[in-house]
Amino acid sequence: MSKTLLYVLFTIYATATVGYMVHLIWRRPILPKASLILITAGVLLQTWLLGHRWWMAGYLPVTNLFATLFFFSWALALIYLYFELRYRIRATGLFVMLLNLVLLGGALPRNTSVSALIPALDTPLFSLHIIFSFIGYAFFAMAFSIGALYLCQSRLNSELLPDLPTLRRINEEAIFLGFGLFTLCMIAGSIWAHIAWGHWFSWNIKSVWSVLVWMFYAGMCHAKFVRRWQGGVYAWLSIAGFGVVLFTYLGIGLLLESNHPLE
Amino acid sequence: MELMGQQSKLLLQRIWSFGCSLKLAIALASAATILIMGGSLVMHFNPAIFAGMEQEIMSKWLPRAWSQTPRLVFWVPLSGLLVLLFGINTLCCLIDWLFKIKTRWRKTGEYLIHTGFILLVIAYLWGNISGFRSGPHRIFPGDRIAIPKMPGYALQLDEFTPRLEPSGRPLDMINRVSLWKNEEPVAKALVRINHPLIFDGLVILPASFGQELQGFRFHMPDRGFVDLSPGSRLSISPDTTLEVRKLLPDARQNSQGRVMQTGNLLNNPAMQLSLSGSGGQLWQGWYFLHNPLPGALREAGVFLRPVGPINKTFSLLTINRDPGDKLALTGSLCISIGVIFAFFSFYRKRVQGDRPEV
Repeated sequence: MSKTLLYVLFTIYATATVGYMVHLIWRRPILPKASLILITAGVLLQTWLLGHRWWMAGYLPVTNLFATLFFFSWALALIYLYFELRYRIRATGLFVMLLNLVLLGGALPRNTSVSALIPALDTPLFSLHIIFSFIGYAFFAMAFSIGALYLCQSRLNSELLPDLPTLRRINEEAIFLGFGLFTLCMIAGSIWAHIAWGHWFSWNIKSVWSVLVWMFYAGMCHAKFVRRWQGGVYAWLSIAGFGVVLFTYLGIGLLLESNHPLE
Repeated sequence: MELMGQQSKLLLQRIWSFGCSLKLAIALASAATILIMGGSLVMHFNPAIFAGMEQEIMSKWLPRAWSQTPRLVFWVPLSGLLVLLFGINTLCCLIDWLFKIKTRWRKTGEYLIHTGFILLVIAYLWGNISGFRSGPHRIFPGDRIAIPKMPGYALQLDEFTPRLEPSGRPLDMINRVSLWKNEEPVAKALVRINHPLIFDGLVILPASFGQELQGFRFHMPDRGFVDLSPGSRLSISPDTTLEVRKLLPDARQNSQGRVMQTGNLLNNPAMQLSLSGSGGQLWQGWYFLHNPLPGALREAGVFLRPVGPINKTFSLLTINRDPGDKLALTGSLCISIGVIFAFFSFYRKRVQGDRPEV
């Protein structure tokens, strides 16, 4: 993958983020619109880059830290686009795109080459496991951003941000969709583990924390029915949940040894 | 009497409501989550104790680990208990929903996920109580081994071909295997990475492969190349025969002159040779292949120059049994269908303005 195109992509997203920032100060309606156009262009470019890498490698190239950060960033941008087009959340994009810049910025200095696929990963179940996993993570990242924004809005009551019921609604939707997709990721992973290692649940730290992520968000899908927890508590839980996701994705891969190493 | 009956009914209703309680579900899931979070770190930093969790089923590993360090493994049965209680709570919710299905059918997706979760908990328990994990088993092509804990069953490796990259990196391990029951073949399969043989709860899959030293190729000035392995006999002259007794891949001789094996890798190979004539044994001794040929052999007219080892490739196969695997697959299917249903019903409920205002 060309590093130049990666920097172009980063610049597009960074300009869109600056657009949202400037809008907070100057409040020109053209700015969020321009940012949305830039993000759409960025998503299209990133989709092309991802498709090209997939085509060149002959398999979904999400096997190292660069590739996972790149895929995560793509999924987050795509999901933001979905929520933006569905709910017109505008300034909310600042928070999400800042997170996206962190992900893409983390990928930029890393080696972009595609390594040979190890035989155990050569199965469609691996691709399904990865796709559902990172799209699930992206929804959780979206919920984290919306949760943080909910807490800001509950204090600021700003006209620039969506109202609290809308933020709550988006947060619940992000958690629910993320949980569903992460569930499918766990199922694809379990079936794959059964045919690759002969047992569908493994007691390695990555698998255990994946179950913890699943249980946490399963709990959140239930917690929305507890009236006292709707809104504020739910927003805090979304933030805490993303902490669990980050530890499962990055913490275990980078700090501890696991069967899902990140290099 | 009637009052007592009403009180009992009320008590049962309260117990049932508690069993179905959403708050109980959240409390149990939270407690299990926190406990497993801590436990997973204990697990990671104590690999000597927890490494066996992957090689054995829980009902074998837990009693042994508990007898060694109950302080470090207490969280495993405790979190298992919490997950089991969570499963029972989920079952109560499911039964409660089934009684109200006429009015709550829109929740079918969510309750399919509940059903799947219950099936997975049962499947895990079943597999970890009555299943087993064994291996890796070293099998040479043509060999047949008895399957542990399954009397009458045997596994035969008919053919083995490792696939390697030009750099020597393993790409795949292709095992043509057959499963036998009471001397009758019941299944045949090509077992390779991500393609196990699955039969009656058994999962047979490749773990690795290796080579074992079988013999050595020598060059003899008058005969060309000669392959020698334990049991080989070589006629030197009409009345003199050389016999190979033993072959050690890595051997050393101690101060008393005794030769012993020091490893399985090819480092310092040695052959025990015996030279016999018409009157009986003429000489017996060890020939360290890195050293010159023993004088007794040279005097008898034996001239051997080692060329290279003759190895036989073996396959390492893992044999596991999980009688709960079909149930787990059914649970996974329920959950997958449930997720799809739930996605549709979520948006339908949104369109209809149905909000979670409990």
